[in-house]
Amino acid sequence: MKPVDLARKLRREAAFEPAALDRGKAVLMAAIRQEIEPTRGQTIVPQVPYKNVSAALSFLERAFGFREIPTARLVSADGGIDHAMLGFGGGMIGIGPQGHHGTISPKSGGIESQYISVYVDDVDAHYQRAVAAGARIANGLRNYFWSDEGHRTYEALDPEGHLSRFHQQIRS
Amino acid sequence: MVNSRSDAEAISRSLDQPEVFGLIYDRHPATVLRFLGRRIGAEVAEGLIGEVFRIAFERRKTFDASRVSALPWLYGIGSNLLLEHRRREARRLRASARMAAASEAADRRASAGALDARLLFPRVADAIEALPDGEREALLLFAWEDLSCQGTAEVLELPIGTVRSRLNRARTHLRELLDPGGKSRVRSR
Repeated sequence: MKPVDLARKLRREAAFEPAALDRGKAVLMAAIRQEIEPTRGQTIVPQVPYKNVSAALSFLERAFGFREIPTARLVSADGGIDHAMLGFGGGMIGIGPQGHHGTISPKSGGIESQYISVYVDDVDAHYQRAVAAGARIANGLRNYFWSDEGHRTYEALDPEGHLSRFHQQIRS
Repeated sequence: MVNSRSDAEAISRSLDQPEVFGLIYDRHPATVLRFLGRRIGAEVAEGLIGEVFRIAFERRKTFDASRVSALPWLYGIGSNLLLEHRRREARRLRASARMAAASEAADRRASAGALDARLLFPRVADAIEALPDGEREALLLFAWEDLSCQGTAEVLELPIGTVRSRLNRARTHLRELLDPGGKSRVRSR
């Protein structure tokens, strides 16, 4: 018999537990999650309440260019979104249903007690995108200077009335 | 290797969207797990399968995007991990040799071949064990994983000529170890 054929005779299949592949995948997914772990390097994360979380999620992605971190999504028993994280540049917010942690959407409460500042590279392009996606503009594009440096900004409301202020750093 | 055409695309997308790397797992886990299992048995292989993909994920920037399938790369990572389990691998190989000898002997009961088998397979196992790491790895990928010389070369990231000469050296070594005196395999001892 040839040496390679002899070696082949010693090949023996192992009998695996059915769950082995799932456990292997869990190891990989844990590593993936760790890499995109929202709180890693991020020490302050605003949590923003909504009446309709999935509509808000879709709006924030479409209008403001935020991107959901899919592995961070928590789903409730009825299939709704319990919590989702959205990243933008080096920043991040969490969104979830109002009522959690005593929070309330401006749509229900009628007032907004805070706003979110977002720093962008090209505020004019961002403004166009937000308008095209149907964002309500609370304050249009404007320049502010405090020395030879300043900001070009605008403010937009999402469908539930949360205010975001978008900034681009500029020089005079 | 279903869908292997898009492994390179998926890996390249996973640079920005790490979660896409999950696809690479979904496409190849059974092949890689069987490979590890043949070498070190189910228990340790089950512990290593996730490790192979975790390491692949962490090294995904270095994946050569001109390769369509990620499988040779995954084999290569697995093959490196196996080096840390040499003793277990050797034990399994000796056990496999005993089992092969027993089943061969049963097949050829009452024939002269039965004795040959009982002595031959353990010696094959010892001979494989005695090969230098590079030759043993090339031989087992080629013989057990049914990879071509080209496939083996891709796994080991070596020129095909190097793999051919390793395989040839492995064959020569095996022949010498099995048949030191150049006489009949068993009785030469």
